[in-house]
Amino acid sequence: MLNLEYMWGLLPVLLRYLPLTLQMATIAMCFALILACLLAVVRVSKVPVLNGFSLLFISFFRGTPLLVQLFLFYYGLPQLISSLIAITGVTAAVLGLTLHFSAYMAESIRAAIVGIDRSQTEAALSIGMTQSQLMRRIILPQATRVATPTLMNYFIDMIKATSLAFTLGVTELMGATQKEAAGSFLYLEAFLLVALIYWAVVEVLSWGQRRLEIYLNKAYQR
Amino acid sequence: MPLPRKLTTTLAALSLSVAGGLFAATAYADTLRVGMSGGYFPFTFVEQDELKGFEVDVMNAVGEITGDEIEFVTASFSGLAGMLESGRIDTIANQITITPEREAKYVFTEPYVYDGAQVVVRAGNDSIQGVEDLSGKSVAVNLGSNYEQLLREQPNADDIDIRTYESNIEQDVALGRVEAFVMDRVSATQVIKEKGLPLELAGQPFSTIENALPFRDDEAGRELRDRVGAALAELRENGELREISEKWFNTDITQP
Repeated sequence: MLNLEYMWGLLPVLLRYLPLTLQMATIAMCFALILACLLAVVRVSKVPVLNGFSLLFISFFRGTPLLVQLFLFYYGLPQLISSLIAITGVTAAVLGLTLHFSAYMAESIRAAIVGIDRSQTEAALSIGMTQSQLMRRIILPQATRVATPTLMNYFIDMIKATSLAFTLGVTELMGATQKEAAGSFLYLEAFLLVALIYWAVVEVLSWGQRRLEIYLNKAYQR
Repeated sequence: MPLPRKLTTTLAALSLSVAGGLFAATAYADTLRVGMSGGYFPFTFVEQDELKGFEVDVMNAVGEITGDEIEFVTASFSGLAGMLESGRIDTIANQITITPEREAKYVFTEPYVYDGAQVVVRAGNDSIQGVEDLSGKSVAVNLGSNYEQLLREQPNADDIDIRTYESNIEQDVALGRVEAFVMDRVSATQVIKEKGLPLELAGQPFSTIENALPFRDDEAGRELRDRVGAALAELRENGELREISEKWFNTDITQP
């Protein structure tokens, strides 16, 4: 029933678009992590003014669909500020993914920080650590371990969210599949194949996540 | 002291080319950026990573005449209008139908494709023989296309359950998930013939549609429209437009 020959022939074609998909997700993940850490620390330590900004930022980027944000920045804003036209589709997609996911990740990092027992803070302060030493040496290393599984969750979600980039004219894995399916009308074969590719990528990541968790748990082994 | 003649011509040529370069940077250079979905057989589609179709051939032929380099930009159909609006592409070659709303916003070339809106059903579905039988039925149309509007203009519009799709409407009718879809007659015929999906045309086309290339309604856009329009006229004149049509459709869809 399945046209396996077609799928086999399509595989190398689709794999050509995998690097772009992974690239967009990886770059966006790096920026999102940095931004999310900043937002989380601002929220936890209640930095005046910045805290209000963080709240607004998280509220907007969690409260609106990613597709709406992408359309807004890529098609909407250039009508107001014409120089924004210089932003390419790939940049816009990475920017959109970064802003959108950093809002979610900030909350998960904040939860990890708040979840560290108070006794840790008290112990660190009692031996004379400064606030920043406390953060760097005591809280963040422990929070990293707690936050890792949820952050990997967001990374996996982000890889799949890159499929929206085709609406901005970026032919990534999903866009390439849609166009090939339109040419062959073998929808089942084309979409099954692309599903298997996404799945395989996520499986490799999950394996990496398990290794990372074992590493981060070393200090807790008895 | 008068400058040697050769030097002055060189200077003139230099300043011209500098001015030309500046102008090109602000206008559209010699690259015509053509947007299309890449997902609309046989107008624009991809096979083994190669962009093909009627629109691709027509635009390449236009480029041969105007001397512009044609750069194809593929994006989801729903993103194309935004790309044209925000200046990321210069025109859309995706069987764009001329409508009053679009004419208020864009400038069009003369039509280069004439067609009709066609109801298509799953093979063996005799309950629908045309647009008047669509009352109480679910009908799929593509998001951003003008078929939704054509349906809404029908007298029985209120009774039609119009479903808007991003893509794959043929597939969903073939699967029986919706009862009919509306598409232009030419590509519907082509889909049924080439792809072996269990579909059939239901009755005659219910509206004539004219397709043309839209450009932004500003000075540069109008200038570009005139240039491309003249090239299309030449292609019509020398028979090349007809040849391209016959290659993809076995019939001339470029005549009214």
